[in-house]
Amino acid sequence: MIIIEKICHNITVVALQGTLDSCSSSQLHYYSSPSVTEVPLVIDLSNLDFLDSSGLGALVEIARKKREKGSDVKLACMNDKVRKVFEITQAYRLFDIYDDVEAAAVNAGNKKNSL
Amino acid sequence: MITMTLPAEIRYVRLASLTAAKVAEIFSASFTAADNADGFCHAFELSVSEAFTNAVRYAVSSDQENMVTINFKGDRNRLTVSVSDSNPPFDPEFPSPDINSYPESGFGLLLIRRLMDTVTYTREDGRNLISMTKQPDNQRFGNL
Repeated sequence: MIIIEKICHNITVVALQGTLDSCSSSQLHYYSSPSVTEVPLVIDLSNLDFLDSSGLGALVEIARKKREKGSDVKLACMNDKVRKVFEITQAYRLFDIYDDVEAAAVNAGNKKNSL
Repeated sequence: MITMTLPAEIRYVRLASLTAAKVAEIFSASFTAADNADGFCHAFELSVSEAFTNAVRYAVSSDQENMVTINFKGDRNRLTVSVSDSNPPFDPEFPSPDINSYPESGFGLLLIRRLMDTVTYTREDGRNLISMTKQPDNQRFGNL
């Protein structure tokens, strides 16, 4: 999986490209580490081709760690294959999901959720 | 019947899941009515990813190399993939976690059950065997 970082409306946007599964999910551990949990984050899924439950677990871990610190993670541009995993597991309940990165970044900057 | 045997190592999970997707794609091409081919292929890609990951995750370390065997069998109107490993038995009715507790694992069997038409678990010759079957024209959670 390729990870590309950019800034949008002063919010860090992490674009994931490729496959997020049990082999690649550890690449996201940094984003749930104590040094960045207080920083709001947007994850751009537009080029994520495949997600399984291990990859979903990595996203859930980021959400949990951030909300414990009063911050949040927003998801943007989910394709149908990825959306299906969120629907079956009902993980959509844990995330604010946007159709475009800019809207996600604006909301990430304005709103903070907490557990 | 197509058989693939891989070491129980996580670096092989994508090889297993992509192979499953490709086999499903070729199989579904035989069905002119299969207008949900993407969903059919994704069901096999994701289910094999989950089954293979579980086989690796619960592999017991030993001097003997742990291997995971994946079998594909197509009949007149459905495709079956079986994943077997030499791990200790597991509970196929393992309940899914509550999403509101922010679980980081435990959804693999749920995904398999929801994506496939039929899922069976058996214990044969000291090996776990999970068999997953789906018809190309079955719309159950198959549309993308």
